[in-house]
Amino acid sequence: MSISLHNLTKSFGSNRVVDDLSLQIDDGEFVVLLGPSGCGKTTTLRMIAGLEQATTGDISIDGARVNDVPPQHRDVAMVFQSYALYPHMTVAANIGYPLRVRKMDRHQITEQIQRTATMLEITALLDRRPRELSGGERQRVALARAIVRHPKAFLMDEPLSNLDAKLRLQTRGELKHLQRQLGTTTVYVTHDQAEAMTLGHRVAVMNQGRLQQFDTPLMIYNQPANRFVAGFVGSPTMNFLEGEVDVANRRFVSRQIALSLNDSQLEALQQVETKRVTLGIRPEHLSVSLEPRAGSHPASVYVTELMGSETFVILQLEKTKLVARAPGDFRADTDSQAWLEFDMTKAHWFDEAGMRRDMV
Amino acid sequence: MRKFLRYTTIIVVLMATLAPVYWLITISFKREVDQFAVPPKWFSFSPTLEHYLDAFVTRSFGGYLMNSFIVAICSTFCALVLGTLAGYSLARFRLPRNLDRQLALWILSTRMFPAIVTAVPLFLIMRDLRLVNTRLSLVIVYTAFNLPFVVWMMRGFFAEIPRDLEEAAMVDGDSRLGALRRVVLPLAAPGLAATAVFCLIVSWNEFLFALVLTQTDAAMTLPVGIAGRVTQYGIKWGVMSAAAVVAMAPILAFAMSVQKYLVRGLSLGAVKG
Repeated sequence: MSISLHNLTKSFGSNRVVDDLSLQIDDGEFVVLLGPSGCGKTTTLRMIAGLEQATTGDISIDGARVNDVPPQHRDVAMVFQSYALYPHMTVAANIGYPLRVRKMDRHQITEQIQRTATMLEITALLDRRPRELSGGERQRVALARAIVRHPKAFLMDEPLSNLDAKLRLQTRGELKHLQRQLGTTTVYVTHDQAEAMTLGHRVAVMNQGRLQQFDTPLMIYNQPANRFVAGFVGSPTMNFLEGEVDVANRRFVSRQIALSLNDSQLEALQQVETKRVTLGIRPEHLSVSLEPRAGSHPASVYVTELMGSETFVILQLEKTKLVARAPGDFRADTDSQAWLEFDMTKAHWFDEAGMRRDMV
Repeated sequence: MRKFLRYTTIIVVLMATLAPVYWLITISFKREVDQFAVPPKWFSFSPTLEHYLDAFVTRSFGGYLMNSFIVAICSTFCALVLGTLAGYSLARFRLPRNLDRQLALWILSTRMFPAIVTAVPLFLIMRDLRLVNTRLSLVIVYTAFNLPFVVWMMRGFFAEIPRDLEEAAMVDGDSRLGALRRVVLPLAAPGLAATAVFCLIVSWNEFLFALVLTQTDAAMTLPVGIAGRVTQYGIKWGVMSAAAVVAMAPILAFAMSVQKYLVRGLSLGAVKG
């Protein structure tokens, strides 16, 4: 079932939490709302669920405007960050609750509970109460309660954030598998860019109530629409250098470094009126070596962080720190000299307003 | 030594609180000659049920007992239904300009003036409504009297229950009232029980309004009935004591049976579950 948000705005008093948001979510799609805390992503989800009233704008489910439809008639299921399991009911009663309020036949309810519990491998827990369950088990029960009634859409509010790191990764995979299996439209809220990249068909990056970019994970990573998206997505974060375009010498000049530009870059950057631009480059597009090579720039090693299969090398260039990815066997002492190469074909350019400028 | 002190204190306190009760119970079983014996007959007297028979068979204390039951239960029920809904609304819905806060304070303020100031106007109102000497008048007055207490207690209990739960219930397909009934109220049950006990006790013991609003056996409650045995011709100690014992018994039994909830209800929120 498709969900569409049209010029959606939500204000609490004079505080505009969601600002003119438009999104078209297709049938069967897994869309992630990604952003820092307070960016309006949870409020957006709650408006889709009907728990918050939109100040202006329209919400449609399957083409029908649902702004004035109360949550119980929207036929969407929500998984809360706290799981919101009913503490006084057994797991079975929790899962069966949505069916019970729909006055479904008793035998059918039992059957559906069994079927869902089997799917999520929680049949052994059915007689327990929520407080007797571990975090991961609670999360599964919350998920079971959402899928038992085949809703039009799943809405998930940071469902993995209360799990420990290892379980989170495992559950993330299971969640993705389950969604692809069921094919149910899903809107998923998270502040974790790794979750967004791995789970979503498309990711909507939000900041301060405004939509920054709505695209596939690959496009968001490779062609971030603005400096905020570029900095928010990717770990370690993209490196930024502020400087000016020197058109005559076909160069980008910052306080720390001067880098030559190719024809298409020059053409795009010439159109920036002030000539003041920011270069963005991901750590994997910086290569470090201990010997100078043609076109490499000297820098000093601030610290190295071994991650196992790779090493993050943090380098100091004047007063700016840059992060580069190096192979796992890379070793360098603190404050030793290293040489840095920029893969300029992978550079991102942003103007003073933070907008992407390398597209012609 | 500490242990000794502790137990001595407990015994002294128990004696102080329970001695009048003991005296009351023994009087109710003593013949009149024994009641005023000097020195007092603490233990050795021949028990009799004559005062109980006098009160509940010859006199109309049975009717007073019934009135007390009906009035206490009906007014508690009404106060709980109305107060729970009001308390829930005040806990969950925000009104512009903090009106919800002010409304809550205003509700509480009705309990701050002495009850006697409303006695005269209430009597006049009830007289004009032709409700004087009816149980209905007492049910209405006690409901109104208990309502602020119920609203405040329940508002506190509801505020402790995470909003997520009822929001989950509503997204799961339940209406707000359904979510209140199936999810929120079961969780607030200990609080509800504690509140109910207090309402029952207040209504059961209430004397002032019952005195003002009832003069005949049709609606008179036990406290007024007992006090009525102090007449210009004599004081019926035996009958009064027997009736008082009967008045005390049900509320005591009830409080003991819900003691578990009472403690849990009052400490709810102190320890998060």
